[in-house]
Amino acid sequence: MSNTETAVPPADTPAFGKRLVDLAIEYNFIVIFLAVVVIATSLSSNFLTFTNIANLFQQAAVVGVVAIGMTFVILTGNIDLSVGSVVALCGMLVAVLMSHGFDPFVAVAITALVGTACGAGMGAISALAQVPSFIVTLAGLVSFRGITYLMTDGVPVSGLPQGFASISSTMIPLLPGFSLSSMGLIFIVLCIVAGLVLRFTVFGEYVFATGGNPEAARLSGLPTRFMITAVFAVSGFMAALGGILLTSRLRIGQPTAAQGLELDAIAAVVLGGTSLFGGRGGVLGTFFAVMLLQVLRNIFNLLGLGSFYQMTVTGIIIVAAILLNRFIDHRKGRG
Amino acid sequence: MATDVLTVRQVSKTFLPNIIALESASLNVRAGEVHCLLGANGAGKSTLLKIIAGAFRPTDGTLLLDGEPVELHSPAQAARLGISMIYQELDLVPQLTVEQNLFLGHAPGRFGLINHGERREKAAAALKRVGAHFKPDARVETLSVANQQLTAIARSLTMDAKIIIMDEPSASLNETELESVFKVIRELVRQGVAILYVSHRLGELREIGDRVTVLRGGRTIETFDVKSTGDGALVEAIIGKQRSLIERKTREPVTGDVALRVNRLRGPEGLDISGLDVRWGEVVGLTGLNGSGRTSFLKSLFGANRFDGDIKLEGKPFHPRHPAHAIRSGIGLVPENRKTEGLILHAPIYKNATLPSMRESWLTRHSRQKQKTAPVLKSLSTKYGRPEQAVVQLSGGNQQKVVLAKWIINGARVLLLDEPSRGLDIGAKADLYNLVDRLAREGAAVIVASSELDELYAACDTIWVFHEGRNIGKYDPSVADRDTILRATILGENHVQH
Repeated sequence: MSNTETAVPPADTPAFGKRLVDLAIEYNFIVIFLAVVVIATSLSSNFLTFTNIANLFQQAAVVGVVAIGMTFVILTGNIDLSVGSVVALCGMLVAVLMSHGFDPFVAVAITALVGTACGAGMGAISALAQVPSFIVTLAGLVSFRGITYLMTDGVPVSGLPQGFASISSTMIPLLPGFSLSSMGLIFIVLCIVAGLVLRFTVFGEYVFATGGNPEAARLSGLPTRFMITAVFAVSGFMAALGGILLTSRLRIGQPTAAQGLELDAIAAVVLGGTSLFGGRGGVLGTFFAVMLLQVLRNIFNLLGLGSFYQMTVTGIIIVAAILLNRFIDHRKGRG
Repeated sequence: MATDVLTVRQVSKTFLPNIIALESASLNVRAGEVHCLLGANGAGKSTLLKIIAGAFRPTDGTLLLDGEPVELHSPAQAARLGISMIYQELDLVPQLTVEQNLFLGHAPGRFGLINHGERREKAAAALKRVGAHFKPDARVETLSVANQQLTAIARSLTMDAKIIIMDEPSASLNETELESVFKVIRELVRQGVAILYVSHRLGELREIGDRVTVLRGGRTIETFDVKSTGDGALVEAIIGKQRSLIERKTREPVTGDVALRVNRLRGPEGLDISGLDVRWGEVVGLTGLNGSGRTSFLKSLFGANRFDGDIKLEGKPFHPRHPAHAIRSGIGLVPENRKTEGLILHAPIYKNATLPSMRESWLTRHSRQKQKTAPVLKSLSTKYGRPEQAVVQLSGGNQQKVVLAKWIINGARVLLLDEPSRGLDIGAKADLYNLVDRLAREGAAVIVASSELDELYAACDTIWVFHEGRNIGKYDPSVADRDTILRATILGENHVQH
């Protein structure tokens, strides 16, 4: 047989120290997150308290849930710009349904279905008509916001049943002295579920394959069009959940809510190391990035710096993180 | 006697580490002639063209322009000196107008402001010279391919080209379109422009060429006068007497039943195949020039192209509309380009290898996937570190084995291999064809498409020649003369045996 074959890198079992460094590079978002936490702790004694941590999760939950869905979409190499509008649409829909006397359970179920359908519809258009998802979901961003206003002529809906608020704000004791609001817990549980789906199901594997090389995936017999429809359905479902949680927390259906939320979600996904070109990344990174952005906001609030500073610094950090990831990719020779 | 515009004197090009693409190539192009360049795939045509156009720098040798030695550092510099290259994929910007394209990068005007009046005038003049009937303000994407070709030629004229290099302009043109391009070429030649025309169609050469230089194995074999040279001499020069580097396998006569029978298949780009079949245990080779339809034929059989036709798989009608359909029927395709079509490069080896067979369950079982992958990769003698390794880290030959493993793991019994040896070194090629031989012995039906006849000659039971979308000849390599097959490939002549 061949002996002119180029040598293959040998099966390496590198030293413990080197492996630690490799891990730190691979999971750099965790390292950055921990660094920011250390800084935050040193800046304010109020930071690392149970109450503050519970608050962080509560505040991060809506963006976080939406960002999980966005991770699926971006892993296939697509983008979903409509999520902010779908959050508002679903947040309003659930409120309107309840104000028309629907049982909260039924209202939530219908809303979740509508959100899923919104996503699936956009995904199907993008996949079947071969239109970039950027355009389809941009249209969604505009139209769904329009529908949201049309529902009540732009008037917020209040007077929601008491039980509905408990979806988001029931405090669940996890440790002695530490309890988390239900919406924070929902975010964490959904992260774990999404992580398991991506890692241990064929569906998850197909998501990565479709994003990694759509043509190779198609020629391997994968239903790539269905996959694209499906990830947008997931994103729509997550946005619906985000809308339900938001309305539950605010106790009011607010048609102007969640403006620009799609950008926060995209920023978190990309900051968490998921490649915008698809095929690489995961929900663990998204989780830490969502929390990192929340901690940053928290620090600024604790320091009494206004939102103008927050916006400026957040942007800089996102660019820095992307450059870091490019650098790592380059170093690994997959630039 | 016309003067030499361009002289190529003993030019060599070596790519590191030791691939010799061009060895002491020489030719001279005269003002007012159409000089053709002929050669088989890999003869060094494109390397030579790129050196003349300033895209590559020669390792050795000199270029003379109007008798003066020149050193070309970039295509832009070559263009300034009057050497203009028209690539097969015309490098025009489709969204811009003809006029904008003609003067892209050298628009008349000053201080970054374009003198529109002057540009319009010059554009009209250049278009008139190529006999164009379209307006300078037409957008390029609205033009036919032939008119785009004329635009590209006109663009060369706006740069005062003394010599225009045309790389297979006929590939995308039909006959009438080609005729209109030829008319322009003749007119330009009459005005003293030199044309270096690359094609592998002898018919075209007869129609347009004055002289022809044949390249083979990186050397210029000879320059002929087109009128006084017969096809036989040209084909001989293209083919040469060199023998196959890969030893022919001794293969038992194939006795299996017909696995796949293509009674009729009509597909994209004029594909029209009939009466081709492959038996269990048989290796069928498809050869032909670029664009002869090999790839779209294989993709059609795999359900990746839409087609009309009458195909039988094990005697039952078979019409795949999606790759998944073909895969379920036991077909596997090793695509032409393993990096863009065959593999997910940064994904682990075992995931690539099990991608088509994953659909069996809902949950992924990573350890089982690895278990399934390991023995198959071993039987293909794939060299790799760990199954979790990204496939991009493997050498080309081992990457190709991972693509092959996909289908073996999935239990494919009909294997379609499209240029499987592309980019592999000789050892890896031999290795690959040993595998093909073994898979066929184990009962698989294999179709291999390759532009390297030597490889097919060594490995196949039957060789089909494809020419412009049709299967024109069937040969048995154990008796057929290799040169006969090559002649059919180049000339498109029908010599069906049996």
